[in-house]
Amino acid sequence: MSNIRREFYKMLFQKRTYIGWAGLFIVPFLVTVAVRFSDAGQQHGPDGPEAVLIQLMRGNGLFSAVATLGVLTGFFLPLLASMSGSYTIAGEAESGTLRTVLIEPVSRGPLLLAKWLVANIYMAIGMALLSVASLIIGSAIFGAEPMQLLSGGTTISVGQGLLRIAASYAFVLVGMAAVVSLATLFSTLANSSLTAVFGALVLVIVMQVLGSFSVFDFLEPYLITSHFDAWQNLLRHPIVWEPMWKGLINFVVWIVGTTGLGYVVFQRKDVLT
Amino acid sequence: MAGTGGETSAQTLADSTSVLSTHGLTKDFNHLRAVDNLDLTVYAGDVFGFLGPNGAGKTTTIRLMFGLIYPTSGYVQVLGHRIPGARQEALRHMTGFVDDPVFYKNLSARRNLRLLSGMQGPVSEERISEVLEMVGLENRGDSKAGSYSHGMIQRLGIALALVHCPDLIVLDEPTSGLDPQGTKDVRRLIAELGEQGTTVFLSSHLLHEVELVCNRAAIMTKGRMIVEGPVSDLHPSTSSVKVLTDNQAKAREVLARLVAPNTVVLDEGYLVFTSTEELVPQAVRRLVEDGLDVLAVVPSVAQGLEDMFLNLTADAGEGGLGATVSADAKGRR
Repeated sequence: MSNIRREFYKMLFQKRTYIGWAGLFIVPFLVTVAVRFSDAGQQHGPDGPEAVLIQLMRGNGLFSAVATLGVLTGFFLPLLASMSGSYTIAGEAESGTLRTVLIEPVSRGPLLLAKWLVANIYMAIGMALLSVASLIIGSAIFGAEPMQLLSGGTTISVGQGLLRIAASYAFVLVGMAAVVSLATLFSTLANSSLTAVFGALVLVIVMQVLGSFSVFDFLEPYLITSHFDAWQNLLRHPIVWEPMWKGLINFVVWIVGTTGLGYVVFQRKDVLT
Repeated sequence: MAGTGGETSAQTLADSTSVLSTHGLTKDFNHLRAVDNLDLTVYAGDVFGFLGPNGAGKTTTIRLMFGLIYPTSGYVQVLGHRIPGARQEALRHMTGFVDDPVFYKNLSARRNLRLLSGMQGPVSEERISEVLEMVGLENRGDSKAGSYSHGMIQRLGIALALVHCPDLIVLDEPTSGLDPQGTKDVRRLIAELGEQGTTVFLSSHLLHEVELVCNRAAIMTKGRMIVEGPVSDLHPSTSSVKVLTDNQAKAREVLARLVAPNTVVLDEGYLVFTSTEELVPQAVRRLVEDGLDVLAVVPSVAQGLEDMFLNLTADAGEGGLGATVSADAKGRR
């Protein structure tokens, strides 16, 4: 049985897997129902670009998927990504199963990469559930119409709209892979999954704080969180590619850097739990 | 590595083959030296007892053997494969557990065995059923590991170690938490493995257990090995004998000519002296020849491994540990 299959199999037998997925499936229903029953003239929920998306949702259920994505990218998705990445090594070290696994003739490096990949598959499945649930409830309540883009004036077909929504989710998924990688690194350093979750999440929050003050503008290109919302450029006409490419390069650098460092740390780690 | 059937490749190993050895193995944790320049050798077919008080460094040594931690210096060798360098190759020949075995609580015992042993190669359902039966868990194989008692987890750990018929099985306190019947069964299983030619490395604090099932043993304290050799050689060859005659004063003179005079003492009416097994009939014969009536000869319980263990570890604790004692040259099986 390959490392990836084994890790995936294990993931399917863990309750927290389904709790996380259930959360991602339920949130769109809550967001859409809340928007449906709130007054159109008043602002409820988040400020900023997400508020615009929520207003657009009232006219077109397809925007339910993008509004939910906008709302969850700030905290919930990074939290889930941190939890997913932190369990890779620290979770198993905490429960003691890491030594049971490492007593078998398995290479540490490929094992870590398999765990990292399955953590990302978990996020991919979760985000797929999120998008499907958003589209179902959004379309059911507000209908599915051709999408008017954020730049105004241009309307694209439902099919085109779904394609851009899928691309937006894929972009955010790469951003979350960077958070998973960060959590994986912390996971190799800690023997408690909670420590690893906090480590990754605190760093994400610190990046968000740094990104919100102009005095730290010089850091912005290097922060993961500065690029989380770049997917919204997919909803403009024409699509503004530059911030997206910059975001993807940033994510890939973080993914390779932190996973690579985690790989090296795990190779030399003394397993004492 | 043997297949998944019932055969063991250990049977093919020559008796003199070193299956497991440590060479100058040392492990420091910050400023604490947990294992200090450890050299030991386990030969093919040995059931090797690894004894030591709490904190002696036994578990750290086993972690080093499995490559779970990295040595500060030295190395472990398993059938020619060095750990940590060739850890993966070495682990194809050895299995077992360190500390308490741990399994995925949400998975059944059977699924745990399939998942974990599958890392070493394919395993048939029949083999999984077979090992579950060997450890007496055949009726609980489909229960989740989370519902198992401590003793059942120990048995499941042994089952996992047996799946691939390894050349070497390393077990850390395998009877810990077992009921008397379970303890007896596991000891019988270990003895049977030894008889079948599988090499077993058994860490235990139960000296009686080591005496019962092991042919060779090492005693470790404060990270250092203080004695290694055949279990039979770890027993002192002498024991105390009590003698009652019709004239104890005269008997004392007779015995004093036979053994060291200062070793013959009067205790609660009996003359007590230290003797080898061969010397006892000779002493009785001499007493009778000197006209004494021998009323009773009472052999006291022979000094056991436990006494030796306590003496050695106490000596080491007092700083009286000089050189490592090795009884290794004699009597390998």
